Amino acid sequence: MIFKIEDVTVYFPYDNIYPEQYEYMIELKRALDAKGHCLLEMPTGTGKTIALLSLITSYRLSRPDSPIKLVYCTRTVHEMEKTLAELKVLHDYQVRHLGTQAKILAIGLSSRKNLCVNTKVLAAENRDSVDAACRKRTASWVRALSTENPNIELCDYFENYEKAAENALLPPGVYTLEDLRAFGKNCGWCPYFLARHMVQFANVIVYSYQYLLDPKVAGIISKELQKESVVVFDEAHNIDNVCIEALSVSVRRVTLEGANRNLNKIRQEIDRFKATDAGRLRAEYNRLVEGLALRGDLSGSDQWLANPALPHDILKEAVPGNIRRAEHFVHVLRRLLQYLGVRLDTENVEKESPVSFVSSLNSQAGIEQKTLKFCYDRLQSLMLTLEITDTDEFLPIQTVCDFATLVGTYARGFSIIIEPYDERMPHIPDPILQLSCHDASLAIKPVFDRFQSVVITSGTLSPIDLYPRLLSFTPVVSRSFKMSMTRDCICPMVLTRGRYVYKTNPDHLPYCLVLYGFTLWVVFFFSDQLPVSTKFDMRSDPGVVRNYGKLLVEMVSIVPDGVVCFFVSYSYMDGIIATWNETGILKEIMQQKLVFIETQDVVETTLALDNYRRACDCGRGAVFFSVARGKVAEGIDFDRHYGRLVVMYGVPFQYTLSKILLARLEYLRDTFQIKEGDFLTFDALRQAAQCVGRVIRSKADYGMMIFADKRYSRHDKRSKLPGWILSHLRDAHLNLSTDMAIHIAREFLRKMAQPYDKAGTMGRKTLLTQEDLEKMAETGVQDMAY
Amino acid sequence: MSNQRKRLSGEREDEDDEDAEGIGEWERAYVDDRSWEELQEDESGLLRPIDNSAIYHAQYRRRLRMLSAAAAGTRIQKGLIRYLYIVIDFSRAAAETDFRPSRIAVMAKHVEAFIREFFDQNPLSQVGLVSIKNGVAHTLTDLGGSPETHIKELMGKLEALGDSSLQNALELVNEHLSQVPSYGHREVLILYSALCTCDPGDIMDTIQKCKKSKLRCSVIGLSAEMFICKHLCQETGGLYSVAVDEVHLKDLLLEHAPPPPAIAEFAISNLIKMGFPQRAAEGSMAICSCHKEVKIGAGYMCPRCKARVCDLPTECTICGLTLVSSPHLARSYHHLFPIAPFDEVPALSSLNDSRKDLGKSCFGCQQSLNGAGNKPGPCVTCRKCKHYFCLDCDIYIHESLHNCPGCESIHRPKSVSLMEE
Repeated sequence: MIFKIEDVTVYFPYDNIYPEQYEYMIELKRALDAKGHCLLEMPTGTGKTIALLSLITSYRLSRPDSPIKLVYCTRTVHEMEKTLAELKVLHDYQVRHLGTQAKILAIGLSSRKNLCVNTKVLAAENRDSVDAACRKRTASWVRALSTENPNIELCDYFENYEKAAENALLPPGVYTLEDLRAFGKNCGWCPYFLARHMVQFANVIVYSYQYLLDPKVAGIISKELQKESVVVFDEAHNIDNVCIEALSVSVRRVTLEGANRNLNKIRQEIDRFKATDAGRLRAEYNRLVEGLALRGDLSGSDQWLANPALPHDILKEAVPGNIRRAEHFVHVLRRLLQYLGVRLDTENVEKESPVSFVSSLNSQAGIEQKTLKFCYDRLQSLMLTLEITDTDEFLPIQTVCDFATLVGTYARGFSIIIEPYDERMPHIPDPILQLSCHDASLAIKPVFDRFQSVVITSGTLSPIDLYPRLLSFTPVVSRSFKMSMTRDCICPMVLTRGRYVYKTNPDHLPYCLVLYGFTLWVVFFFSDQLPVSTKFDMRSDPGVVRNYGKLLVEMVSIVPDGVVCFFVSYSYMDGIIATWNETGILKEIMQQKLVFIETQDVVETTLALDNYRRACDCGRGAVFFSVARGKVAEGIDFDRHYGRLVVMYGVPFQYTLSKILLARLEYLRDTFQIKEGDFLTFDALRQAAQCVGRVIRSKADYGMMIFADKRYSRHDKRSKLPGWILSHLRDAHLNLSTDMAIHIAREFLRKMAQPYDKAGTMGRKTLLTQEDLEKMAETGVQDMAY
Repeated sequence: MSNQRKRLSGEREDEDDEDAEGIGEWERAYVDDRSWEELQEDESGLLRPIDNSAIYHAQYRRRLRMLSAAAAGTRIQKGLIRYLYIVIDFSRAAAETDFRPSRIAVMAKHVEAFIREFFDQNPLSQVGLVSIKNGVAHTLTDLGGSPETHIKELMGKLEALGDSSLQNALELVNEHLSQVPSYGHREVLILYSALCTCDPGDIMDTIQKCKKSKLRCSVIGLSAEMFICKHLCQETGGLYSVAVDEVHLKDLLLEHAPPPPAIAEFAISNLIKMGFPQRAAEGSMAICSCHKEVKIGAGYMCPRCKARVCDLPTECTICGLTLVSSPHLARSYHHLFPIAPFDEVPALSSLNDSRKDLGKSCFGCQQSLNGAGNKPGPCVTCRKCKHYFCLDCDIYIHESLHNCPGCESIHRPKSVSLMEE
């Protein structure tokens, strides 16, 4: 359908549009007009992506004189593919209606591992080794050598791409990763380098967050994007964590050992070069003296990760004298490693600011701040000079240099924390030195500064006023949209108490008799009406564990197909499952449904998920036990029959004794005036919302959500849930016991199984046609029926 | 409403903690039914009799279905000779008491009514019963045309045990129905109360097998929507529905009584050899071929092999001839030429005038069409004869009578109709 939003003609590839999509577009358009940043929350399953894409591409078409570029950031490769597929539909539609002038070039960009077509390179198992294998075949000196020695293996795809040089261009169109690979294979051009090259010409780029937020990667990939770009962060509820991770480094004992080995190898290489090709080291020295831009004269294939510090913090000066010579630099690094080794030997937990760390480093190891700052660039230059291609082996030393550069550059917003062992396993020494960033706004600031509009959007951004503070920016639009629905297809409940029983349970009879004698009845009602919670003082109470178990036993017998349970942590999940196993609750569950458990092992979890889906498909029914903040909670959908019910056991607070978290909380309080409690609750609730939101991915879907913890009934917790969940959380469902929840669930499932009218009745219009929109444009949006 | 409900259950907790288990079965039935919530007041504050909007709704549904059938084409071929297996799930879940007194009793009750209705509407068809218990499917009765036999067998086996297995049931039914002649429509109607199925193999293969052998599978769930059931129905062209309460369950079951539209492959005309047996003489003694029992009188004789059978319609066990009686054929006829659905008359004042002329009464039952307070009540009109009918007569005409009284009276001699006027 084609309609107008103010002065922009929007091309929307479907015949109907949801009212919230229309509103979303209006807000987005205003933000684009104002050339400002915006924050938009809209529930999953309402077609956020297509609304975004369709408005921005239409906006571009309506302003032919100042074409904007769309940079769309996703969290995972899977989401990237989904986005590109939608864009393809949209693009086809626009081309059909507007002809070739609507043609755009849209590409997805990912790592070599996802784009490479060279079978030999792809044989490497992880990302870093694929990168290294590629460099081995494409580095400029390798290629130079091969002209003399034909035995050296090169990559044909890259050679062809180089030969085509400026002519290697992608024709307009939408390219998913798969399309890029197919195109590359066809033409014999390397898809990875082609895509990298096309970034500057493309109208739409879809890639991962890191390519924009992590300064190491962004410096290479995204430095050529013009200001007139619209940057979209999709599923951005965890964006602050991504920003922080981009600037955090941790060093372990293993890292130091590896770095030492790397240094030895570098040392050997230096000696070898001294003997054979001393001129090369000399040339490098001269270059550093002159302070040439370090990578200025490098060809594309030799590029490495850029400096880990943010662009405006990097000094444009010559490398300090004491590390210009390769040997001296190696000595400096060796001293640094030694110093770090000493620090790791500590018996106590230590917390330090970067300033004091640098000064003690200076006094004990004689390394200055400025030297530290240049470590990363100097290492890179050295490795290029030494023509080292197997970069994956040199990761430890790179990590150490990362650390050095960051600690040398930043004085505020960071802290260094040294822990001799993991808090949860105090007898196993596992020292770790962490440089942790506390300020999410640091990494994202250059993005806000550089680009005209940044759109942050997700299904869960509540409370929406906290994000601008965390990321320190001022949005021109920040709004939360509700979901218009033909039927109440989600049913959130807060469960606070266990079952209300009429009959005595013979298992507990002797126990209670001994303790309470004739006051047996009272005991029963107390024990079974016990409030449920994962609060620290209550979580190990056998009554709570039993009540949680009983809830699940009852639920699996009335909920069809898939049920997902989220626990607050792995250790809690292990504990509770063990207890359920002992008390026979697990067996009762297994009578109804098969049980699958998420583990920390990715392969195992994938297998469990796969079997879980099969069990749901074939009607056997299954329960999946998972952990909030785990891999499953973040990226896996449990839509349709794969998740008819999700139970959130407890409030998923972060591990509050973690030193890093405490340091961050302190920083947030001092810098942004965000109270510790507020931040912790906000963080826990967004995780909880994320977990329960897995269950519903479209409007035709339905599902129940149970928040099993009495703390959810408190206003301060509840109010931080996103609006689209809150609007379905009726007052009557706020303080339920197990049997009441069962009753509600039964009725809900029966109601949802009835056939329903997709378009909605007159009162609540949920699918708008073109005429509806035209009518609305006349009367104003306020009349829209919700 | 649920707010109220919540408060009610909350009160219950506070007050009768001690004697909670003392709620008698009869009392709980009222608590669960909450019939008081259905009471409504009219404008003057008087209590209205229980609102029958639910019934109107059911009517509406039926009308809709008829309309859609009419829209699809004036002449739909229908499978008149149906071979239907009714599968009843007697697994653990059937013992649940969310339907009173228990799911199993409610299912049996309504299946009984359904079997009678089914034979009434499809006299040429045959039914068999299968039950699922302990994860195994058992044949209760083989295909046959006598409702009494089926009902007797069904009522004798009411107990719920063990797991449920959809695959076993489908395999068994499929095996039974594979011997059915090609002109017959194979159908299975599953009443499923469990929420999972414990199968010995891959159920997807079985579903494909059913699809290949043109077995139309329909499922009525008793608790919630299950993916596998939905998938099964979609694949095989059946209906899937979930009952909300007992009344709804009955409606859903009865929806399966009229013959479904014929599957395209079977739509080719086919000659079927049938025998019209004569009723055996009173007092003559013979051993019937179906029960192997000596019977005096009562029974039919196969015109080809002279074997004795007890009930019609059936298939002769000796020579395999289809045995029917002529009224059976005649009764099946109306499915092919249904009466066009009546049009609803909007309750607008502008129409009042025309209705006054007609005396404001239903042409069928002669009752006044005015509802409470002398306001025009809802009514319908026949497209051909333009007579008005009340809603009750509408259902009666379409579902039992199969003739429009208005149209029938038009064809009378002119003098008679003049006299009437």
